Order: sequence, then C-alpha cells, then structure tokens
Amino acid sequence: MPFIEYGSTKVEVDDEGYLVNFDDWNEQVACALAEREGIEELTRDRLEILRFIREYYRKFNYFPILTGICHNVHQPGNCVAEQFVSPVVAWKLAGLPKPDSMIINILQGETPD
Amino acid sequence: MAKAKTKTPKPEELAKIDYSPPEKHWTEVPVEFRPGTYCYGARPKYLEEVDMPNPREWQPYEDDWKLPENWKEIVLEGMEDRLNKYRTFRLFMDICVRCGACADKCHFFIGSGDPKNMPVLRAELVRSVYRKYFTTGGKLFGKKAGARELTMDVFKEWWYYFYQCTECRRCSVFCPYGIDTAEITIMGRELTNLLGCNTDWIAGPVANCYHKGNHLGLEPHTIQSNIEMMCDDIEEITGIRIEPTFNRKGAEILFVTPSGDLFGVPGVYTCMGYLMLFHELGLDYTWSTYASEGGNFGFFTSNEMARRLHYKIYAEAKRLGVKWILGGECGHMWRLIHQYLDTWWGPADFLEVPKSPITGTVFENAKSTKMVHVVEFTADLIRHGKLKLDPSRNDHLRVTFHDSCNTSRGMGFFEEPRYVIKNVCNHFYEMPENTIREKTFCCGSGSGLNASENMEIRMRGGFPRANAVRHVNQKYGVNMLANVCAIDRAALTTLMQYWVPDVEVCGVHELVGNALVMTGETERTMDLRLEELPGKEEEEEDV
Repeated sequence: MPFIEYGSTKVEVDDEGYLVNFDDWNEQVACALAEREGIEELTRDRLEILRFIREYYRKFNYFPILTGICHNVHQPGNCVAEQFVSPVVAWKLAGLPKPDSMIINILQGETPD
Repeated sequence: MAKAKTKTPKPEELAKIDYSPPEKHWTEVPVEFRPGTYCYGARPKYLEEVDMPNPREWQPYEDDWKLPENWKEIVLEGMEDRLNKYRTFRLFMDICVRCGACADKCHFFIGSGDPKNMPVLRAELVRSVYRKYFTTGGKLFGKKAGARELTMDVFKEWWYYFYQCTECRRCSVFCPYGIDTAEITIMGRELTNLLGCNTDWIAGPVANCYHKGNHLGLEPHTIQSNIEMMCDDIEEITGIRIEPTFNRKGAEILFVTPSGDLFGVPGVYTCMGYLMLFHELGLDYTWSTYASEGGNFGFFTSNEMARRLHYKIYAEAKRLGVKWILGGECGHMWRLIHQYLDTWWGPADFLEVPKSPITGTVFENAKSTKMVHVVEFTADLIRHGKLKLDPSRNDHLRVTFHDSCNTSRGMGFFEEPRYVIKNVCNHFYEMPENTIREKTFCCGSGSGLNASENMEIRMRGGFPRANAVRHVNQKYGVNMLANVCAIDRAALTTLMQYWVPDVEVCGVHELVGNALVMTGETERTMDLRLEELPGKEEEEEDV
C-alpha cells in the first residue's frame, strides 16, 4: 500500500491517493495530499471547506451537496469548483475514502478526458 | 487489476465517423472490447446484495469471464423461458424482414458507424441464435437459414452491444412492423444477468436501492439534511423559509423523485423548484426517506429485478396513508409506472384517483396507477391560472427542450413540458422536427450507460442530440437545454461540455422556480443557481 509522508510521519493511501484511514487526517496530511493534486497552498478558505466536508461526512456518511458546502462556510455558491477545480479533489483532500464511480460522475458531471 | 481507461478523442476527431462497412460478413467480425466503449463488470458485492447469480471479480476485456461450466444451457433455458413468457419476444424474433428502415435511426449507429449498432443487426445477434435452437428452419439448414451457434464469442458480442443500446426505442418508431428493439435488448440483458454479467454502473445503484431505498445510497438523515440545505439556498434567494415534512403519516400526497435530484447538480436546482412550488401552493404532501428513488435501475437488469425494486413507492404510500403519489421529473420511472405496474402488481386500488387539491382536476390518465408526473400537475396549475409567474426572470436563458425517450416516445408526454416552459420563459426554441417528440434523439447515456469508463461511446451516442442542440445554439443563441429526466440532467451536462460547451442543462422545475412569484418573497436578485439575474447585479458606483 503506498504512503504519503509529512515530516517524519507516514500515512497510508490507496492506489489513487485516497486516504485509507479517515481518522489519519490532519492539516499537514491535507497539505501533503494537496501537493499530490497540484494544489499549492491550503488557504484558510480551502481548509474551511475541507473541515466542513469531513464533519458532514462523519455525521451523514455522505458528501454534502455543493451549494450546501458554500452556504455553510459562507463562501460564494461555486466555492468548491473555485477552490479545488473539481469536487472530487476536495473529496480526496478531505480524507474521505474513494467514492463509487456513480458519485464521482454525478458530483462533477464527469468531463470526458 | 489494471483497468483499461483511455482518453476520449477530441470532438473534431470523434466527428469523423467511418460508415464504410467491414469487408467480412458480420458473423466473422469478432467483438473488440476497445477501451472507452464498454462499462466495467459488476462487482460481486453488488450481486450478492440482491442474490444475483455468479458473483465474482471479472472484467469484460479479460478472456475468462469466469462463467459456470453449463453457461450455455443456462442461457438457452433462459431464452426458452422468456420466449414462452413474453409473446413480444417471440414475435419480434420472428417477424423482422430486414428492410433496414431502422438502420440509420439509432443514435449509436449514427455516432459510431458500427453496423452492429444498427437495430436490425443488434437484434440479429440474438435472432441468429434463436433460429438455431428454436426454429425448424434454423435447426435443419443452419447457417443457410441465418442461424448460428451460441458460442462464448457470441455471448460476449451480445454483452457488448446490449450494454451499448440505451433502450430508447427510436428505431421502433420507424419499423413498419412496430418491432420494439428495446424489448430485445431487455431480453438480451436478462440473459446476461443469468450468468452474473451486469455492469458495475447498473449493479451498484440496484444494490443501493435495495439496501437504502435509492440509487445513490443516501441514508434517511442525509436526505433530510440535503433537502434542508436546499431550503437554506431558497431562503437566501427568496427570504422565505420552507419547512418540508418527511415520512408524515396522513399527508394527502407522497412526493417521490429520482435521487439524483437530491444530490447532483443541476438536479438540486430542479428539486428547489419543486420545494418552492409546493410551499407556495400550501400542498399537503410529504417526502419519504424510505421510498426515496423514482428511478429503477432494476429495469436495466431484468424485469424481475425491476419488479422487486419498484413496489417500495406503493408500499410507502400505503404505510403513510396518503391518497395519491406525485412523481418528480423522471424518465423511465414514468414508463415503469404506467406500462408495467398493473402487470406486476395489479392496480393500486388502496389509493385514490389523483385529484389536484388546487384546481380540482381529476387525473383520469392515472386512474389505475394513482401517480401523476409533476409536470402534468404544474401544467394543470398554470392552465387554471393558479400560479403567479414572472417569466422575465428567465430572460437570461434561451431555452430548448429535450424530449426524454421514456416520457415522450414511451408515454406521449409532449405538450405538458412545453406548455410549462412557454409560460415560465420568454425565449423558447424547438430543435428540428425529426429530433424531438416521438422522434427525439436519446441523450446517449440512458438505461445505465452513464458511467465514465465508456465515455467515448456515450459521446458518440449523444452526437445526434448534441448536433440538434448545436443547431439551435447557432441559429437562436440557445444556452439552456431543459428536460424532465434525472439521467438527462446528468448525462446531457457532460454531453454539452463535450459537443456544445455554451449550453447548460436544467430541469423544467428549475425554470418554474425562477419564475414563480411567491407570497411574501423579497425581490429576486439571483436565480436558483445563486447567480445574479441580469439587471439585478449589486449596484456599482459609476466612476
């Protein structure tokens, strides 16, 4: 199983870079995950989004609806796309396990690649 | 296991479609599992959840599909059962004269140039086997009578093409015999499911629906939370706080919509439209967190699976003691309710014939099923002048309407959505006549093909629809593609991004929500997407 490293700590991720253990997450881990996704800096706005996603997931066992995220962190209605390009990246950086492909498609209206 | 995923070619490359037929006879051209054109195999956990046979890890591009030793007997027995059970199946096997009227009517043939996507030839994949084992001519004269053995290659070919057909039934409109090729695909898929060969994209939602009540696997408290989040946005837009009820016994109406509307974009905007409308009407209705799915991916698996998943809506209606059921904007739900329910479960006699509490209209068309489509309901409200509407709030949109295959071709549901749109929008433009109404072109991703690994074939199948949208985009500046189906809302969004990026996608009730003048609302400055309405932007000081 691959790892990501931050400081002297190693954290397990799956083949696609999703965190294996939800509770391994902290801000440093998020920074290390972000680096892998090409996101340079985890600003306060970004971290607020990630923290909300985690809190929601813990309670509801699901990813929150996109406009709901922005409403709750008091950011513009398209904040997730603005901050992370794709909601799936936000999902990953928040340390959630890999979603089923159906969720991925619905989340981002899968762009052909 | 390495999954084969490739980049989808660019639109300009994909548009160069090769229609030249192969040099060899079609029976001599083996199926090629080219990445981008097929879905992944169903994972065992999904099959186990609903007791489907032969759960195992497998992929269609692998040589060994890990089938039981007697797979051939299973398929042939399954075929015999279905020939006896469904008269349509036998009839459609027998009566095709191969006139070819359907050949160029299929969006997958138009978009791919693959002759086996001609409905006549796709059906011939099964007919040839039918002749071999179930007709005297085929038994006696074999190949000369158009018969062929059922081999592993033939079975793989069935699988490839039956999970490339979207069961849209456009071909049947043009067939002089009225052969419904979707019925043949449905039977073909049933036979593949006897061996545990479904796609992951279909089997996953089926398992979720069985286990949690909806395709997305949303749990009850999550459904409630999502809807409350939508109410937050509605409050921001209108100043009005809506407080819908859940699982409320004694409500007059149960409302059920596809779960895509409870989570995905743009489905959630459509859902906000429902919430606003029902609030403004003061409708005595309830959501259910148990019957939380209008769609039914069982229909893309087998009739039996569809039947099993279907009835929870009615069981919930009975439990809650409602009078009738209102359905959200969905395509195949509609066909299932009106064309299958009575056969599977008998008329829903424990409910009342739907009667609009606002207009008094009795929906005679739903006399047996007791279920009304929300667009019918809204069209009736508008017809009776019960809604205060300001269509100028949609003036930033130039709208066209995509007829969903199941509601339009399947149900003759043509006028209601157009009537609603024309009352809530000032700019509506039709796509060309041979691409709408009963001749509508499919989104290219229906019947469970809306995955990502088969993106190339989805974009090919959606090409004729996209081409028609592009026409009205260039001619009239159309920038919004409205529809009444949750699969469309997801699939067309991707299709437009690929072929016509200027055009966005919405449900009809998003447009209704924009135009609806609600009692006590604050002045609207945003549409349901929280985007500023033109002319209502926050004022900036002129310099």
